[in-house]
Amino acid sequence: MAQVRHGSSRDIPGRKREYETIYILRPDITHEAVGLVNTKVRGVIENGGGTLLKVDNWGKRRLAYEVQKQMKGMYLFFSYLGTAGLVEEVERNLRLTDSVIRAYSVKIAENVDPATRTSEVTDETFAKAATPRPDEEEIATGQANLRAVFGDDEDGAFDFEEAVFGSDDDGPM
Amino acid sequence: MSMERDEKTSRTGAAGSDDRGDKKRSVGRRKQCKFCGDEALTIDYKDQALLKYFITDRGKLVPRRISGNCAKHQREIAVAVRRARMIALMPFAVTGA
Repeated sequence: MAQVRHGSSRDIPGRKREYETIYILRPDITHEAVGLVNTKVRGVIENGGGTLLKVDNWGKRRLAYEVQKQMKGMYLFFSYLGTAGLVEEVERNLRLTDSVIRAYSVKIAENVDPATRTSEVTDETFAKAATPRPDEEEIATGQANLRAVFGDDEDGAFDFEEAVFGSDDDGPM
Repeated sequence: MSMERDEKTSRTGAAGSDDRGDKKRSVGRRKQCKFCGDEALTIDYKDQALLKYFITDRGKLVPRRISGNCAKHQREIAVAVRRARMIALMPFAVTGA
């Protein structure tokens, strides 16, 4: 394992840097698996002396180009404070995770006083980040609203797919 | 040399075939940088809706002379678009296929 750097001569002691990491997960991933990846990243950040500021799940989005044979992906956004070297460790862990198809980190600010920043992340919000917002497509087709009205169970509820694509037995195939 | 040039310009001017500049320049309204005019508007690589106005339908960056951005904000836009491309929010190139 590579030696983790803990700071740089450029940094003022006691101050940290603010980073954002976005990673894209395979679109067919289960909620449990999303939670596991998130927990892993959180663990790396907290073990590396960082402070998690914000976690957000953007839901499944269409990618602008194909990434690892996928045209859609689930976006996860992490904002955190840390020292130099923490990002390397976070990215290394993401690269080793099979369900992550792309990860990208950006430094937002240097010499941030950790006392001035408060974490928005609680266990509740963190767990919420494993369940995505409605899919872009679902919003476009109105399926998200239908789901909200009828719930996820199909019993007696309006079957969206059947309404749009027809029932299974009316095609020549 | 200068006489030659003078002659040339006067000739074209007289012919009226090349009156570039004068009329257009006086009529054209100078474009204002959107971001200088509105302090609340921030450039963020995650803001796909904003950045899409600064790329062409081919996925290339729109030049300053078209977008009207000042140099500072054009640089920021360029960085933001490059970052957005890395996380597949924006395309590197859009091919006709």
